[in-house]
Formats: sequence, C-alpha cells, structure tokens
Amino acid sequence: MSNQFDNRRPTELEDKAHAEVVRHFAEHLRQYPASRQAIDRLERDLAQIALVANMAASKPGLQKDFIETDDGRQWHKDVELMENIFLCHRPMARGAEYAVVEHFPARRANEILQRGWTAGDLLRDFVQDQRQVLQVWTADVNAQVKEFLAEKFPGLDMTRVVDSFMHRLTRPVAQQQSRSQGQNRSRGVRV
Amino acid sequence: METAPKNNEQSNQAPVERLAYSIQEAADLLGVNYFSVYRLIQRGKLKPCRALRGKLLVPRTELLKLLGTN
Repeated sequence: MSNQFDNRRPTELEDKAHAEVVRHFAEHLRQYPASRQAIDRLERDLAQIALVANMAASKPGLQKDFIETDDGRQWHKDVELMENIFLCHRPMARGAEYAVVEHFPARRANEILQRGWTAGDLLRDFVQDQRQVLQVWTADVNAQVKEFLAEKFPGLDMTRVVDSFMHRLTRPVAQQQSRSQGQNRSRGVRV
Repeated sequence: METAPKNNEQSNQAPVERLAYSIQEAADLLGVNYFSVYRLIQRGKLKPCRALRGKLLVPRTELLKLLGTN
C-alpha cells in the first residue's frame, strides 16, 4: 500500500481492514472515478460540445431525435453528455433555447436539470453543479466507510484506513491508470 | 420494493416494510447509477435523512414520491 498510510507501514489489522473496505465499496470505486472522468471530459470538450449544439440548432430541418420533458415540451436531442443525460435544444422566436435533460428509465420520464439561451454557459453551470454532486458523494462514502469500520473493528482507530480509502477513491483517473500500468510492468521484472 | 427478512415468529404476520434505504439500494431500486441518486439529493428531489455517523439514507416515502406511486 506504499504511501497511502502517510509513509508509515500499515499494521496487519489496517491492511486487513483496508482490504475489507475496498471489497465492500468496490462499486463506489468503480462508479466514482468514471463519473468524475465524465465531468472532466465534459469540461475539457465544453466548447466543442456547445458548437455541436449550436450547429444542430441552426439547421432545424435535420433533427430527428426528439425528447419530451415532464412539462410536455419537446426538445431536439443534440449530444449525450453522460449516461442518460442529454444536451437538447428547441427553437424559439428569440433563438434556440438549450436544456440539459436527464432520462429516468424507472419513471419513463425526462426531467430538465438546467436550461438557458447559451449552450456554453449552460454546460459550464452544469459541470459546476456536477462537481458539487461529487462532493456530496465523497462525504457520504466517508461516513459509510467510518460506519463500516466501526462495526467491523469496534473501538479501534481506523482513521488511516479511512484516509487511505478516500485517497484511493478520489485520486485522479490518470494517477490510477499510471499506477496500474506500473504494476503491470513490474510483474515482468525478475529479481 | 424490499421488505425486512421474516423470522419464524413473524411468519404469519404481514412483512415489515423497510423505512429507508442506502444510496446503493436506492440506486438499484430506481435502476440508475449512484451519481444519479446523489444528483437527485443535491437537487432536493430526494430528501435523505442521516444515520448516526452522517451516512445518507433515503426514506421509502421519498422513493415512492419520486416514482409517483405514493
């Protein structure tokens, strides 16, 4: 586990606890980095995505894919931003109105998350909001991990295990990839 | 929606309904990913309660309200 424990070797119990936490919260470890990566990608490609939406809005005859939101309005689906989330537009007298719409399969409903008259500004606001959602996510996982450890290892200080796990959950995806590549490379090394 | 497991003494009683669900369970029940559930919470569409250590729990009534079956 190298430097995840403040460069001090974890105790055997901490190692065991860390392994249990990683196993128990594996789905968070899978979903959180993917979600954050999607937001990072969105932020990086924001201008390009806005341009695609602008171009779609300027060619009203070409759109085929429509989406009806909960308020009964029809929107043209322009770009899929994330899983079940779309950037849409609809023509109005003063120009195109844009919206970020989320599809809920269980409710068979489409809900407007944000709307505005400038695709770029709308996307910027959306990205900012999603970063706040990630903060809610990490705060909750932190609480869940603490509860899990308190139940499994009552009375023991597992602060370093919590910190280590949260570091693993929230570290940038690039770091995770280079780390796993490094591990793959080192597998071929014979001493 | 899930119900609490029954023991022998309860077997002839009506199953006890869960009052609240974890984020993971709520995501499974709604058929969405975790991010969507946290997004619903952030937007005030799902009002969670907090367990002792601050863990978020989604009341059953909130899920039913969201699904429009309450």
